[in-house]
Amino acid sequence: MDKNFAARRRRDLIIAAVLAGLAALAPLFIKDVYVQNILILTLMYAALSQSWNILSGYCGQISLGHALYFGIGAYTTELLFTKFGVLPWFGMLGGGVIAALIAMGLGYPFFRLRGHYFVIATIVIAEIGLLLFQNWEWAGAAMGITVPIRGDSWLKFQFLRTKLPYFYFALALCCLAWFVTWWLEDSKWGFWWRAVKDNPEAAESLGVVVFNSKMGAAAVSAFLVAIGGAFYAQFLAYIDPESVMGFQFSLLMALPAVLGGIGTLWGPVLGAAILIPMTELTRSYIGGSGRGVDLIVYGALIVAISLALPRGLVSLFSRAKPKGATR
Amino acid sequence: MTALLETRGVWQRFGGLVANSDVSISVGRGEIVGLIGPNGAGKSTLFNLIAGVLPPTQGSIWFDGEDVTHMPAAERCQRGVGRTFQVVKSFETMTVVDNVIVGALVRNTVMREARRKAHEVLEFTGLAGRADVLASDLVPAEKRRLEVARALATEPKLLLLDEVLTGLTPTEAQTGVALVRKVRDAGITVLMVEHVMEIVMPLVDRAIVLDLGKVLVEGKPADVVRDPKVISAYLGDRHAVGA
Repeated sequence: MDKNFAARRRRDLIIAAVLAGLAALAPLFIKDVYVQNILILTLMYAALSQSWNILSGYCGQISLGHALYFGIGAYTTELLFTKFGVLPWFGMLGGGVIAALIAMGLGYPFFRLRGHYFVIATIVIAEIGLLLFQNWEWAGAAMGITVPIRGDSWLKFQFLRTKLPYFYFALALCCLAWFVTWWLEDSKWGFWWRAVKDNPEAAESLGVVVFNSKMGAAAVSAFLVAIGGAFYAQFLAYIDPESVMGFQFSLLMALPAVLGGIGTLWGPVLGAAILIPMTELTRSYIGGSGRGVDLIVYGALIVAISLALPRGLVSLFSRAKPKGATR
Repeated sequence: MTALLETRGVWQRFGGLVANSDVSISVGRGEIVGLIGPNGAGKSTLFNLIAGVLPPTQGSIWFDGEDVTHMPAAERCQRGVGRTFQVVKSFETMTVVDNVIVGALVRNTVMREARRKAHEVLEFTGLAGRADVLASDLVPAEKRRLEVARALATEPKLLLLDEVLTGLTPTEAQTGVALVRKVRDAGITVLMVEHVMEIVMPLVDRAIVLDLGKVLVEGKPADVVRDPKVISAYLGDRHAVGA
């Protein structure tokens, strides 16, 4: 049995390496900038959703306020860059650390809440964050910040003529988030989180410090999401509160994981691979034809998938079937 | 040698209701002690106080020579208190072996060791064949056994069993009794709450009867079952007259 387990872990790693390799080759064949753009967004949301999945999927603390950490990553990077000339690479890490600290600071009062009350608290806090940034003059308020473009540079992580560096960064981030999840899955933290999700009282009786587990999950999750936010800010070269901290980001982080399979290793990637291109394609092909038809189609697809596969898309693959089922 | 577990003058009030009043009991090392009493006697409350779910209103609880009255449950587990739940609380989305690994992680920080320990405990509790099954797919008797396995994986000095034998078929109950004996033979002290007398009495070294939140009688099982006070608590005064 232990052998099976180790073999499965190794197989996951190999599949991931192959997929990442194939993805890395994609730009050789895909020259269309529009399609490249969709690929970049897909990879970014896969990474974000994978990070969201750590707190909400594995540890079971459903957050609909992760846009806050995304925005903090974006703002930290651009404020440090435009006001103090700090390179985005450092801003990125700084944003990650600040987001992790804020996640723990918020966790201190809010991890006492359970279920729906916790979800509501996360939504409200993210909205407050949005309002604060909309009124914070020094940070550009509602006008936002335009990143000064001074030509292609890895140092400043900005590129005008090509999207490829963004593509590779998004791919790297996606791999990082996946690998962190893979690694944590077979660690004390991973087990603690799943125990906390399933039954906090039983977990506590087995020596799991429930509160600390939630704090740990929140910190890791927020850190990675903020890195994504920093990336997005550099990618757009312009940020304002609504475009990096709006509620839609919280949803777009949660949806791929939920659709793909919440609390699973492959769910977020799978969900993002289907959801994000679908979002973009419905928007560009039927978005112009009538008011909101794209959103109706989009919504209907989500409903259809959730009804057909309540355990998420990963349940299409045999591994995710309930192991105890007799046939 | 001092007792492994001791409660000293423990009170627990819930609003106007007194669930435990002035309960002082002790459990010696290597004993199997039964905590019995009719429904509503305060057994579960006392059990939860010992496990650390909540602190008592008054009084103190000592474990292994240390005052643990206000120690949280997780820390008590690290000190060597393992427990099961009356209403089973399996980690339903996890496999049986993963459930047990959570417990094993208390004393094994390396995953490989925790996993080995978990398999060892599954072997001991007779669940080895079900290791890779989801906990939600177990039958009730197996879920009870999983509760015990998970607690044993924390390598406790004291195992608290909350009605693990209740609601089982006679055969299942006999398997359960054998398991409890095996646990004691492995050097673990057992305190078990039960209200089915005929199963517990042959198993325990000593029985403590609670009634209306107080210790009613304490002693050898054979003496306890004949005690008029116990008979009247269980069956009403009328039956105790002739005793």
